[in-house]
Amino acid sequence: MDSIPSTTKTPIIPPLKTKHGRNAALLSIIPGFGQFYNKQFMKGIIFLILTVAFFSSFYSTLNWGFWGLFTLGTIPGVDHSVFLLVDGIIALLVALIGLLIYAVNIYDALNNGRKRDRGLSLNSVREQYHNLLDNGFPYLMISPGFLLLIFVVIFPILFVILLSFTNYDLYHSPPAKLVDWVGIQNYIDIFSLDLWRKTFFGVLGWTIVWTFGATTLQVAIGVFLAILVNQKDLKGKAIIRTFLILPWAVPAFISILIFSGMFNETFGVINNGILASLGIDTIPWMTEEMWSRVALILIQSWLGFPFIFAMTTGVLQSIPEELYEAATVDGASIWQKFRSITLPMVLFATAPIMITQYTFNFNNFNVIFLFNGGGPALPGQNAGGTDILISWIYKLTMTSAQYGKAAAITMLLSLVVVTVALWQFKRTKSFQEEDTM
Amino acid sequence: MKKLFTLVTMMIMVVGLLAACGPDREEPAKSGKTNDKEKETATEEAKPEKLVVWEDVDKSVALKPAIESFEKEYGIKVEFKELNMADKMRDQLRLDGPSGNGADVVTLPHDQIGQVVTEALIQELKVDDSVLNTFTDASIKAQKYDGKLYGLPKATETPVFIYNKKLMPEAPATMDDLYAKAKELTKDKQYGFIAKWDDFYFAHGVIGGMGGYVFKETDGALDRDDVGLNNDGAVEGAAYIQKWYSEGLFPKGIIGDSGGATRDGLFNEGKLASVMNGPWAFQSMKDAGIDFGVTAMPTLPNGEHMKTFMGVKGWHVTAFTKSPYWSTKLVEWLTNEENAKIRFETTKEIPPVKTVIEDPIITSDEGAKAVAEQSQYAVPMPNIPEMGEVWDPAKIALETIATGKADPKEAMDNAVKTIKTNIETNHPAK
Repeated sequence: MDSIPSTTKTPIIPPLKTKHGRNAALLSIIPGFGQFYNKQFMKGIIFLILTVAFFSSFYSTLNWGFWGLFTLGTIPGVDHSVFLLVDGIIALLVALIGLLIYAVNIYDALNNGRKRDRGLSLNSVREQYHNLLDNGFPYLMISPGFLLLIFVVIFPILFVILLSFTNYDLYHSPPAKLVDWVGIQNYIDIFSLDLWRKTFFGVLGWTIVWTFGATTLQVAIGVFLAILVNQKDLKGKAIIRTFLILPWAVPAFISILIFSGMFNETFGVINNGILASLGIDTIPWMTEEMWSRVALILIQSWLGFPFIFAMTTGVLQSIPEELYEAATVDGASIWQKFRSITLPMVLFATAPIMITQYTFNFNNFNVIFLFNGGGPALPGQNAGGTDILISWIYKLTMTSAQYGKAAAITMLLSLVVVTVALWQFKRTKSFQEEDTM
Repeated sequence: MKKLFTLVTMMIMVVGLLAACGPDREEPAKSGKTNDKEKETATEEAKPEKLVVWEDVDKSVALKPAIESFEKEYGIKVEFKELNMADKMRDQLRLDGPSGNGADVVTLPHDQIGQVVTEALIQELKVDDSVLNTFTDASIKAQKYDGKLYGLPKATETPVFIYNKKLMPEAPATMDDLYAKAKELTKDKQYGFIAKWDDFYFAHGVIGGMGGYVFKETDGALDRDDVGLNNDGAVEGAAYIQKWYSEGLFPKGIIGDSGGATRDGLFNEGKLASVMNGPWAFQSMKDAGIDFGVTAMPTLPNGEHMKTFMGVKGWHVTAFTKSPYWSTKLVEWLTNEENAKIRFETTKEIPPVKTVIEDPIITSDEGAKAVAEQSQYAVPMPNIPEMGEVWDPAKIALETIATGKADPKEAMDNAVKTIKTNIETNHPAK
């Protein structure tokens, strides 16, 4: 990347007589030699030194890591498969970074060789240096963050992916036993073993209802309240907004636990205080599947709307007043103004974040687990009435230590979330063009 | 063409890397073997500089005096660290053990023994019979897995009958008496007796007392294929449990995972006359200013005592220690009569040491005496890993029985079916 010329296009391509490009690229199989061939000795030496340094410092990491990654250990009690897997992933990442530099080396030699083929002059050391500073500066700046990203984000993802292809469970736990690669056996088991498959689709159904029900409701309430509070004539906006933000300010963890008490059938304030004063009979919030689900969706709406509210309020304040004035002059009704000005503006600005709300609720473990532990229990079923996929997996794996299968189901979950998110992001205008407005 | 060429060279590079791979390490199988030999000749083991103990959170007050006397006696320094026993202890050992930072001695609830032994986190103990005889039989049984001893018991606990003396001056001797009393006391948001029998931990007292069992015990080992939760006794017990709920003696509001907090709240507010709960609840009851009495659980209608689940916390020597001999010595020291007494005095945990249980310090303490008495009728929770598959299906069955959604027989049959499927699926036969 250091000497890629910014403008290599020449109007007339001269016929190629020499084959410097091919020769230089071929010689670059040993890093640096292509550059030597192009008579760029300084760069060649740097590449050569980098290569030697890479192998001398990482040889044992790579050797041990790849061996561990392939075998996952050979002697029980001495080799710790999970640690070996970790070493292996590190080796893999190091090797990838090495390959990247190697590719740059070949590309550079090829490029400069072609330049010679076309009879163009090559950059001097000084020019290369300036070139590096000018073109490479952004890369230089993001590289520490990027390296961090590799180990904080890519590394755990790789670990889960690889784990889903192992038989890691209680009976294949290091240090007593070794973990082995089992291919896609875990994925086959999830769909073929009665125990896992039976409940899977029931739980999946409720997870989808939950995701769309709870999220849509919280978004609708948030947007509605924001528009309501943003009316020009309303007095005391600051206080009203503060109150509406409060559910967000209290940690959800605590709110959910308190809600769980409030929804208690016999002692909870909802049945005893609110509903009783309205003359409504006791509702079995915690022991009837349907009512538990209703309660959960209501709670999540309460927990989630302030965020949407705050965001929408911000967007509303940035809509220019002239638009409404022009609309009034044109004789638009309030509803028309809302449909044609407010809603598109709000949705345009907030759609990406709204989508993340859906994916967030798809995996919203806290509220399900803390409210009723996924209950109430249903006869003849393995999951509770309000268990969503993530809380059900938690139960299954925590009781039987099926780490490999847990990783496999996690992969399936991520597949759903990633697909939906990507698809929606791509359809969202704000991600397509930055200057549509 | 050029791209293809670049790709090929990259492939060559990768293959080259892989070919270079291989275990260029010294053959470690030998060191494994020497390890075993070391264990056999443990008596000649050199004294280590220090031993590391992991103790439960807030319980090190009982550990400190024991450590001091151990240091004086043997001249081995002992360091300790507090970790949450229920899960942190095991998780930390899994990570720190293999990397060489693990403890020599840890404490664990006995129902985790099967699991940690399967993972080879703790090792078998070689202890003289004279030492074993100082503990109660049930507590030693709890420390055994597959017929081998893996620890020495530190403390036991089991649910007992706790009553508010203001509302119920005397504890009833039988459940029938209690039933009559509860009928009389339960009105206007006041309750006579509450037990969380939708939770299998508490419900086992009834189901076990009526003749049900989790795993059949044969020759000191538990048979995972013989699940007795739907035999006649168990179904009878389940029906008895259902009676308390269907007649409105137990409110519906205590069913489910959050019901425990509700139950404690009722008792501490003085709205509940009696409760089935463990010794861990005593302190908050005292703090709430309730004048309460404690006895063993009343006898069941069939005349049997309740077979409550007993939990045993034990001291274990980890598989990663370099001094198994001295670690075992330390475990023996921590559980000896003198240190067991100190433990009771400082933490109120009840050590299953025979002489301590008969000692006035326990017999004069109402709560401890009741726990010790109930422990005689109690059975240790099964400690085989398969037990993990029992809790949830059993809870589901009991919850549906409590809410009246299922018939006792049908619910228990379902539970056993699920348990057996789960065991077959997740625990391959050895």
